[in-house]
Formats: sequence, C-alpha cells, structure tokens
Amino acid sequence: MTRLLHQLPRELHLLRPFRPLPLRRLYTTTTTTTTNTTLPPPLAAAPIVPSPLSPKTTDAITHLSSLPHRRPTLSDLVRFGPPPLTTPQLLASARLTRELIPRRLARRILALRNLPYIIVTNPHINSIFQNYVHSFEALSSLPSGDYPRNLDEESEFAQVLGGIVRTHNNTIPILAKGFQECGSQFMRAEEITAFLERHLRARIGTRLLAEQHLALHAATFEAGSPAELTPGVNPDHFIGIIDTRLSPTTILRRSEAFVAEICELRYGDRPRLEIDGEVEGRCAYIPMHMEYIFTELLKNSFRASIESALAQQRMNAGLGIVGRAAELEIPVVKATIALAEGGKWITIRIRDRGGGISPSDLREVWNYSFTTFNQDTGEQEDFNELVNGALGGSSIAGLGYGLPLSRAYAEYFGGSMELQSAFGWGTDVYLKLKGLVEPEGGYERQI
Amino acid sequence: MSTISSRPLLQRQLMSMRCSNRFTTTAITNTPSIIRPIALLNTSRHFPSSRRHLSFGQQTPNFQWQSSRALEAWVEKPARPVSLRQLIFFGGRHLDERRLLDSANYVRTELPTRIAHRIRDMQKLPYVVVTNPHISYVYQLYCEAFDSFRKIKEIHNQDDNDKFCAVLKQALHRHLTVIPKLVMGVLECRELMSPEQLDKFMNTLLRSRISRRVIAEQHLALTDTFHSPFHFPDSSPEHPNAHPDFVGEVFLRCNAKEVVEYCGRLTQKLARKAYGDNAPVPEIIIEGHLDTIFPYIPSHLEYMIGELLRNSIQATIERHYNPANPEPQQVPPIHILICHAPQHIIFRVSDQGGGIQNSELENIWSFSKGSKRDTQLQNLAMIPALAATMQELETSGFGHSVTRKDGHESSLTRLTSRPPNLKLGIGLPMSRVYAEYWAGKLEIHSLEGYGTDAFLQISKLGNKSEQLTLDGL
Repeated sequence: MTRLLHQLPRELHLLRPFRPLPLRRLYTTTTTTTTNTTLPPPLAAAPIVPSPLSPKTTDAITHLSSLPHRRPTLSDLVRFGPPPLTTPQLLASARLTRELIPRRLARRILALRNLPYIIVTNPHINSIFQNYVHSFEALSSLPSGDYPRNLDEESEFAQVLGGIVRTHNNTIPILAKGFQECGSQFMRAEEITAFLERHLRARIGTRLLAEQHLALHAATFEAGSPAELTPGVNPDHFIGIIDTRLSPTTILRRSEAFVAEICELRYGDRPRLEIDGEVEGRCAYIPMHMEYIFTELLKNSFRASIESALAQQRMNAGLGIVGRAAELEIPVVKATIALAEGGKWITIRIRDRGGGISPSDLREVWNYSFTTFNQDTGEQEDFNELVNGALGGSSIAGLGYGLPLSRAYAEYFGGSMELQSAFGWGTDVYLKLKGLVEPEGGYERQI
Repeated sequence: MSTISSRPLLQRQLMSMRCSNRFTTTAITNTPSIIRPIALLNTSRHFPSSRRHLSFGQQTPNFQWQSSRALEAWVEKPARPVSLRQLIFFGGRHLDERRLLDSANYVRTELPTRIAHRIRDMQKLPYVVVTNPHISYVYQLYCEAFDSFRKIKEIHNQDDNDKFCAVLKQALHRHLTVIPKLVMGVLECRELMSPEQLDKFMNTLLRSRISRRVIAEQHLALTDTFHSPFHFPDSSPEHPNAHPDFVGEVFLRCNAKEVVEYCGRLTQKLARKAYGDNAPVPEIIIEGHLDTIFPYIPSHLEYMIGELLRNSIQATIERHYNPANPEPQQVPPIHILICHAPQHIIFRVSDQGGGIQNSELENIWSFSKGSKRDTQLQNLAMIPALAATMQELETSGFGHSVTRKDGHESSLTRLTSRPPNLKLGIGLPMSRVYAEYWAGKLEIHSLEGYGTDAFLQISKLGNKSEQLTLDGL
C-alpha cells in the first residue's frame, strides 16, 4: 500500500473521472446532523491506476525505438520468393519479422506514452496502450539471437504473431472512441490528427509485415510442408498477401456488390457501376488494401448518387410531376482503370454525379473527425454504420475515418489520392497506386 | 543609331555616368571580339549550352544602372487591386465624364506603381540573368514605360484623357512581345537560377502584366464607349446602347457553352491544318449546366479553354491516329463538363490522350523545368519574327467569339490563334496565371495510360479582387 501511495502522481485528484456524484449520495435518507467525517463511498468503477512499465521493458523500448527502421516496400515483402518457401527461406522470413516488429511496437509505445496523461488514462486508449505493451513483452520474451532456429520454433513464433495480430484487430475504432470522449478537451484538433496519421500509417506497416509472414507460413504448410531445396513452380499467383495477377476490375465488382447490397437494404435501390479503360488489365498489389479503399470510395459515391436522386425526386413531387418523370433516376457511377509502366502505376478514377462536395466541407474531408459520432445527422451515419457493421467487427461508424484512412493506405507504397469536386454536379476521385513490378527473371527466391 | 539627344533623359544621364564608371569601361574594353553585340535576330543555335546566356553577346550595360530616386517613390506605394465587379460598375450606364476621368487617373497612378514593383524585382535578379539579351530587352522596355507613365500629369479633361489614351495604346502595342521574349530569356537562363525562383519570377511578372493590361485596356474601352455616338450617360434603360452587354473589356453575359463551342471549333480547325485533312479530329461533347452565363473577360477565358482543348486534341490525335493507315480512323471524343456552382463556374476537360507521364507531372507548371526545353527553345528561336514581333502569326482572322466591333488586338489574340505545332511549352503555366489572377484555379489530373482531366475553376461573382501577388494580397 505504501509503495502504491508513493508511486501515485501528485495530481491525485485528476485520477477521479469527471462524473456526477453516485446516486447513493444524492438520495441518502440519513439526516445530516452527524458530522460527515466518513470518506465518500467508493465510485461505481475503479479508476485506472496506471502502473509503470518494468525497467527491463522500458530499457528495451528505449533501445529498440532508436534502431533504424524504414517503411517496408512491396519488393521487400516478396524477397523470400513465392510460396511454398523452403525451410531456410521460411526461417529467414520469420527472423526478419521477429527483428523488425518489436522496433515498430516500441516506437508506438513511445508515441502513446508521450500523449497527455489524462488521455492515456481514458479506458479505451489505455486498453490499446496495454495491448501494445503486452505484445511487445510477448515478443521480447522470445529467445534473442538466431531465433527461430527450426520449424518448431517457427511455428511457435507464428502462433505468437497470430495472437498479436488478432489482439490489435480493433485498434482503430477503440482509439477513435477514446479520443472522441476526451481528446478535444486536452489536445488541439491538429495534434490529434497528426498523432492519428502517424500512428495509423505505422500500424499499416506493422500489420503488413506480420500478415505477410503469416500468409507465407500458411501457404507453405498448406502445400504440405516447406518445399525441398529444389526450386519449385509457383502454384498460384499469390505471394503471401500480394496477388501478382490482381485484376482491379474484379476488386471493383466485389466492392460494388458489397456496397450495393447495403444500398438496397437502406434505400431500396442502388446505382450501377460502369467500368471502362483497361478493364482486363492486371497488376501486382495487395487485394485487401485495394478492396478497403474501393469500398470506401464506392460507399461515398453510391450514397451521394442516391441522395441526390432522392432529392431530385422529392423536388419533382413537390412540383407536381408525376408518372415516368417522377421515377427515381439514379445516375451511373463510372470507374476508369489506367495502367502504366507495366503495372507500376495503377490509376483509378471514380466519377459520380452525386452533387459534389461544398468548398467548406472539402477542407474538412481529410481530417480524422471525431466529433460526428452519435450526432443526430440521421441518414449519413446510418448508412456508414450499416456498411461498417456488415464489414464485421471494426466499425468505424460515422467517425469520418474512411477517407483519410484510405488515403493512408494509398500513400503507403508511394501512391496518392485526390478529390476533385464540381459542386452542384458531382465528384471525381483520382486514386493512384504504386504496384509491384515483376523483377527480371521473375519473383525468384533470392536466398 | 538614334542621336544621343533623342534618347530618353535617363539614358543620357546614365551614359555620362558610365564614362566615369570604372567597372563598365573595363567591361567594354575587355569584351572579346567574338561576343561583341550582335543584332538581336541572331539565333542561339551555334553556341554550346554553357554559353547559352551569352548567345547574343554581352549587352553593354549602359541602361542597367538606373537613377533610383524616382523608382523608390513609386516602389513604396502599394498597388490598389480592383475586382471584376468594380470594373463593371465603373462603366456601364453610369459612365459619365467624371467617372471617365477618375478611371483615367486611377490607371495613371496604378501603372507606374505596378511597373515599379516589377522593375525592382528584376533589379534584384542576378546580374548574369538580367544581362541576357531577351531579359534585358524587357527590362529596358519596362524602364522606359515607367519613365513615360510617371511623368503624366493629372488628367482634368477629355483632351488630357485623349493624350493619355494615345500613350497607353502605344505602350500596349510595344509590349506585345514581352511574353515570348521572357520565355526565351528564362529558358536560356535555366542553369543560372533555381527553377523555383525562375518560376516565381515569371509568375509574378506575368500576373502583374495581366493586371496592367486589364486596367489599361479597360480604360481604353471605356473611353471608346464614352465617345461612341450611341452612348448617353444616365440614359434610361430603354435607350439602345451600342454594346449593352459589354462594360469595357468585360462581357457581362459570357455564355459558357458558346465559349467552349467556339474554342472547340477553332482548335479543331487548327488541328486539321497541322495534321492534315485526313487526320481524325476528336469530337467535343459538352454536358452539364448548359445555360450558364456569367461576367468575365472573354479573351482570358478563350485563351485558357483554348489551351486546354489544344492540349487534349493534340494528345488524342497523337495517341490514336496512325498516319500510315489509309483507312478512316476514329479517335475518342473529348468530354467537357460545365458546372455552375454557387460561387464558381467549373470547366472540366477530359480526354483519352494517354495521360501525362508520372515523371513529367511535376514539370508541367514550370517555365523552365522538364526534358523538352531544348526543343522548345529551338522552336522559339526558329521563328525570329516571334521573338521580335507577333506579326508572323496571322494565320487567320478568327478574332474573338464575342468582340466589340472596335475591339483592338490583345496579346492573347495571336497566342490563341497560333498554329498547333508551335509548341511553346507555356500554355499550362500561363493559363494558370490567368485563372489565378481572378482568384480561380487550374488543376490537372493524369490517368497515365488513359488520359487527362483538367479542372478550371472561375470565381463567378467577380467580387474577388485581383490577386496581384503570389501569396494573395
């Protein structure tokens, strides 16, 4: 107890969350003639009592966060060759992942622990912080040096890694909720946006490394076991999470189907999507990323198209127009695919006639907005919630994270995303992705 | 050579100063014979690139050192920007003698102020840049213009105004060749300054140039209106006016669709001339808010849309047309969207011309960066008349879609109707300067491998003032 007391910070009073007095106090029937010398009854939920990290962990964090680290590129991810990997390659991949991920976690912990105290004691943000610390400690507890040395250790490593990936699945909505609850009081909007930008982009990279190794591991063992040292033929076109024969059209149609279903659920009708340009083209990219981005963009375009058609219909009804002219005419959404330099640049333009974005909104659209949750803005948030709910799990319901996050994914490998609005007509989104170009000689094993 | 006494006073002062100036004397006597001053019309073809900036010989810097007291007084004054709405208000039905003289005096003081700022900018450039013959020619021109404008006394009556207008007309005409000269100068000097500095210099200069020509041309047009036999100040609305929809240079009822159609016909015709009658010319399809009407200066709008269409048509033909194939071919059309937003008019030009290469994308707005600048310089140099005057470009009498009958030529007329294979490489940055001058914007999005989209946004209400400096006002 004494240890705990002297470790508590001086700002003890801030530990108590700001909330109204518990009901028992308010409705007490005892008379107040007796002097009230007793302490107030315990609060309904115990406040977070932050415990400091162990010295060993702290040292490890300080050391690892100072080691060099860089953004993984698509070529980095395929350097071990296509699956099934040979044992040496699998072990090499595991070793590299084991080496790189703790550094990245360390930097995240550093960033989190430098946030204002009051923010990190928010239960949501604190849980995320604890997640990072536990994951870091889990990896640190693995033997150092040349680990994993054999397939058993590699399997153990894969299990640990898998657990970490699962733990951090819902980081974004939880962080968002936490910031929404307490962020605006203690941090400026730009600071929060800056932190989230850095954090979420770093998160993309860390998950990329982890998921790539896990996918390679799974694909190798799916084929039975690691291939013998004799070079094998790439059974299919996946290298971990990268698809080397990815068709943007297929991903577009997949996203379209998903968003359209939600549209029908919500509005009873849906816009069509026309695809032109290089419809049969193929490239090498991560289908998961592409699908996320397309879903976000189509979600915006579809919703805008329907909303503007509904508004037009309402206006026609108000003017007394009946019959065929009063039917709902939802404008078509057009997607154009362009490929250049053998798949190095994948440009997608999504053009809708949903009325465009007003200049004032255009300025806000890239912010990680955390003030619209629970707002009574009705239809827009309903729709977003439906979509994100259907995605299962990570609901970024109505928090306005979709566009900045999509842009973060696009820019991760050197691409870009730009919005151009003709307010009163529609919006064009220009998405540029930097794909993987097959090196000469193919995606050969490089060790 | 004109006699000494006929030179402007300033030059005479300078020449006497020069004799006592040790630096210039040694510069002249030490000049090697091969780079003695040569006639301006020589080309730069024969000299290696490192001596590019000396191509025309070392100009004797007799007019470089200006007496700066007069300049100081004017440099200190801030420019008073004007808005499109003010320009319109100044004219129209309410144009009477009082207003006309007010306009004259505004122009009388604004022009020297704005030129003074630009002269000061040029004086601060590196010596080696301003001694480039093209740039020093422009500098000389500006100094003379400044000198003549600052001496004009206050205008009290119509006679004064007429004299003033004569001076204005002459200056406007003399300065028609500034743009190509500047462009050539900047290209020749592109290894002497950073591209960002050069671009900033060019943008500022061009922006200021537009502003001076706008207010000058506006005043001339107002004077013409005032003198026109049909103008009756304070007349009732029913009285016919010769140009009811024009207030000076501003056309109150620019019809977006008509402007686009006109520019489309013009550029299609020029393309046929350049690529031959067999070449398929892309169709131009217009959609959007087709009844959009707004006030603007037609020559500006036509120049910008013309440049964008020119680029689109050229890209489309070059990508899809195979001259070796005798069969008639089709090329994909160009789609233009006109959007009437609450505060802007937006033109979107979408083509399927193959897009712009990613590596070149950052250079399209620069006057000096990029890989094709040597060719561009050669193009410019191969047409000596372009460097000296603009007379050579009389390809046809297209004029403007909507002009006053007595409209005088603008520097844009020639540029707008120049033949398409005259690739000057300045269309996009120039159009952007024009767009941003009235607080609009121009953006390009490229789908490499497919085509390009250009977005031109114009401020509708004309309430926005001129943007005289690059960081607003």
